[in-house]
Amino acid sequence: MGKLNYLTKEGFRNLKVNKLMSVASITVLFSCLMLIGIAFMLLVNIEAFISGVEGENIIMAYVDDAATDIEIKKVGLDLEKIPNVQSVEKINKEEAYRDILSDMDENLKVYLEGLEENPLPDAYRITVRNMSSFDTVVEQVKSVTNIFRVRENSSLAKQLSDLRDSVTTISIVIIVMLLLVSLFIISNTIKVTMFSRRLEISIMKSVGATNSFIRWPFMVEGIVIGVIAGILATGAVWLVSEFALSSLTSSLSIVGASVEVNFIDYALWLALAFVGIGVFTGVFGSATSMRKYLKERKFVELEEE
Amino acid sequence: MIEFNKVSKKYDGAQFYALKDIDIKIEKGEFVFVVGASGAGKSTFLKLMMREEVASSGNIVVEGVDLNTIKNKDIPQFRRSLGIVFQDFRLIPNMTVYDNVAFAMRVIGTPEKKIRRRVPYVLSLVGLNEKSKSYPRELSGGEQQRVALARALVNNAEIIIADEPTGNVDPQMSYEIVEMLMRLNEAGTTVIMVTHQHSLVRCFDKRVITIKKGEVISDTPAKVGESATAHINAASEITNEYVVPPDEDYSAYVSRSDAPADDADDSQDEGGEN
Ligand SMILES: Nc1ncnc2c1ncn2[C@@H]1O[C@H](COP(=O)(O)OP(=O)(O)OP(=O)(O)O)[C@@H](O)[C@H]1O
Ligand SMILES: [Mg+2]
Repeated sequence: MGKLNYLTKEGFRNLKVNKLMSVASITVLFSCLMLIGIAFMLLVNIEAFISGVEGENIIMAYVDDAATDIEIKKVGLDLEKIPNVQSVEKINKEEAYRDILSDMDENLKVYLEGLEENPLPDAYRITVRNMSSFDTVVEQVKSVTNIFRVRENSSLAKQLSDLRDSVTTISIVIIVMLLLVSLFIISNTIKVTMFSRRLEISIMKSVGATNSFIRWPFMVEGIVIGVIAGILATGAVWLVSEFALSSLTSSLSIVGASVEVNFIDYALWLALAFVGIGVFTGVFGSATSMRKYLKERKFVELEEE
Repeated sequence: MIEFNKVSKKYDGAQFYALKDIDIKIEKGEFVFVVGASGAGKSTFLKLMMREEVASSGNIVVEGVDLNTIKNKDIPQFRRSLGIVFQDFRLIPNMTVYDNVAFAMRVIGTPEKKIRRRVPYVLSLVGLNEKSKSYPRELSGGEQQRVALARALVNNAEIIIADEPTGNVDPQMSYEIVEMLMRLNEAGTTVIMVTHQHSLVRCFDKRVITIKKGEVISDTPAKVGESATAHINAASEITNEYVVPPDEDYSAYVSRSDAPADDADDSQDEGGEN
């Protein structure tokens, strides 16, 4: 126990002693994680934006005027049973009529008020969960009894769903590439660190230190660097999403879609992922790049020439 | 016991053998000087012994351990049975003198309490108690060398392997260091010491192995019956080599060197000095 305590303290002491190298490693790791985080938040925002537009893209199903109240209720229930339907909302003809009237020009209003009966049908507003099955849902809505007309915009729905798919794919490719580049940069940083400390490692070996005894302080260093860089990167991504991304999305909302992405919803996961990546690369990276310096020579009988 | 059987060593990419057909047997409790010109292969001889290098052919057995077939995981344990002074000191640059010496004890899992008593004592043996908080870069060559010596002594290893432990210190200090090793040897420790200072070798009447161009050209056994006058003569001889005023009182070195060496004997019972 005392040994572990000592080795852990050694790890912290080394961070302090090799201050420049520690700061450099943290900076490299931090930059990589921050780029990944920003790419991720961009993805999330674009997805949210598309979803916002999708929200406008709904199916309106108008109920036959002749249908009784019970039949109208049944239409609602039937619609809810269709797979991939996210929500079914009834719009009363009275409400719809009142809305129209309030929006209308005074002159026209007088004309409409002359009508004895509400000319509008009862309707259901259906939102679809998965846009790729939009067409199927439309077909099923059409086949429900007592529906006389369906209004939809399937081509827009399709475009949006395609757009979202490609945005997701591109983002994932970019994030994976960033991740690979980061791993490369980080492993190189660790290699340089190890190289500069190979003397230290060889001395430890020559006085009989076991490999795990030598490794442990390096692991502690890796963990601490990973945690610090992870926390800093989370903070940086938070700042970027709060200020840069939110102003971007608010300008997008002019187009008509409202985007609500709260960084806080992702903060915990992002922080965990960052610290995870940081600790993993720190520990795994130093373990692998140290192996070379820990290796013992092997006896190989030399051929006489 | 250390045994070299027909050992040859050729470094990777080297043209010549650094060592050729070495047959040497060093008994437990012996004191052996290894001498030879620069580049003769003395350090290689020691590096093979501590398994920092492996033989190209032949085999080496140290205290029953065959260094050709030893498993990697057993190497640290094997090295702990040796106290090694490296020619290039090998002090860890970012550790203080104290921590460099203490490190060798921490490696074998010595309790911190014991380390705190033992390290100052061993540092006092090499006259470096004042420097325990210094870093290696703040020390002179001779001081660094003495830290390396302290680290080799601190664990009471059964075998001390010292590559020119007196290479950077003044004649008086050289003499004291050999005296100290001699005392450890009398208490049963096997000592193998490489040196350039022939005069130093001559005055101690111990076994001398001479290496020339990778081969052992002479191996003279120890002469018995050394006397105090021999010591004094030896001290003066070493000192003369470095040209000191003729009226210097050399006997002072001898008596002074005896004091710390006495303590070096009670190896297990550390901390007497602090
Ligand atoms: N790692 C190495 N790779 C290749 N050649 C080496 C290596 N180490 C030593 N040699 C060569 O092996 C020979 C013996 O070297 P060694 O270090 O054993 O000499 P030495 O007797 O200790 O010399 P010195 O008194 O100068 O320390 C030399 O010719 C040297 O150049
Ligand atoms: Mg040498």
